[in-house]
Amino acid sequence: MEPGIASPEKTVADMHESSDETALRDQRAMRLVRHLGSARGGLGEWRIQRWTALALIPLGLYFVASMLHLATSSELTAEQWLASPVAALFLVLLLLAGLAHMLVGLRSIVLDYVHTRVGLFVAGVVVRASTALLCLASLLAVIKIALKS
Amino acid sequence: MSRQSPLSPFMLPIWYRFQLTSALSIAHRLTGLALSVGSIALCGWLIAVAHGDEWFARAHELLISPAGLSLLFLWSLTFFYHLCSGVRHLLWDVGYALELKAAYRGGYLVLAATVVLTAASWTYLFLA
Repeated sequence: MEPGIASPEKTVADMHESSDETALRDQRAMRLVRHLGSARGGLGEWRIQRWTALALIPLGLYFVASMLHLATSSELTAEQWLASPVAALFLVLLLLAGLAHMLVGLRSIVLDYVHTRVGLFVAGVVVRASTALLCLASLLAVIKIALKS
Repeated sequence: MSRQSPLSPFMLPIWYRFQLTSALSIAHRLTGLALSVGSIALCGWLIAVAHGDEWFARAHELLISPAGLSLLFLWSLTFFYHLCSGVRHLLWDVGYALELKAAYRGGYLVLAATVVLTAASWTYLFLA
């Protein structure tokens, strides 16, 4: 028997041992389901999606508040806004977290709707390449603005 | 290949009747997609700012055109919806509000919060 697949009795006993702790820690779940199907790297993406979602709550609200401030202010220009290191840092963090979140989300949409191998390959390349391009272009723009002033 | 059995993403019109919960679920995905398109616009705007006054002026002109403003309105709406709905998803992930009644209450709350936040933002924008 493969080391990863325990007998059912042993698996249940294993789970009872840890039931005092938080039930089913994710590493544990990983060990139990590995080799049984679809549990390869999925947990990593799941975790990235949740952590970036958490980070995007304050970062997104800060961004919207900044845009509202920028749009209603008669003195502040976009360049001046991004000249502030705090604003530039938060925007960079928003871009990184947002685009990582977007990549995971778009990939999960692709996996649900694209059913051929060729389609999956092409859609995967398009999604990854365009996300990378957006990320680099935005970051270079922010860095250029931040350094100009 | 013939598909006799329904595939999960396409069950809504025929196999399931309309439910608030499933409609909000697909709306979460659609708004995520719309925000992905929005990230292209954000990237373009940042490039315009970095490039200098002439490009910025042209980008600004596009943004305050009727089409640009409509897009900005839709993106603000989708942003607030995805934000509120995302918080609901995070609460589910840690085990809260999973019962049917709580799921419906959360759904209505998300819709209400989306409308309030969007309306507040645009009211501020035009009054301030």
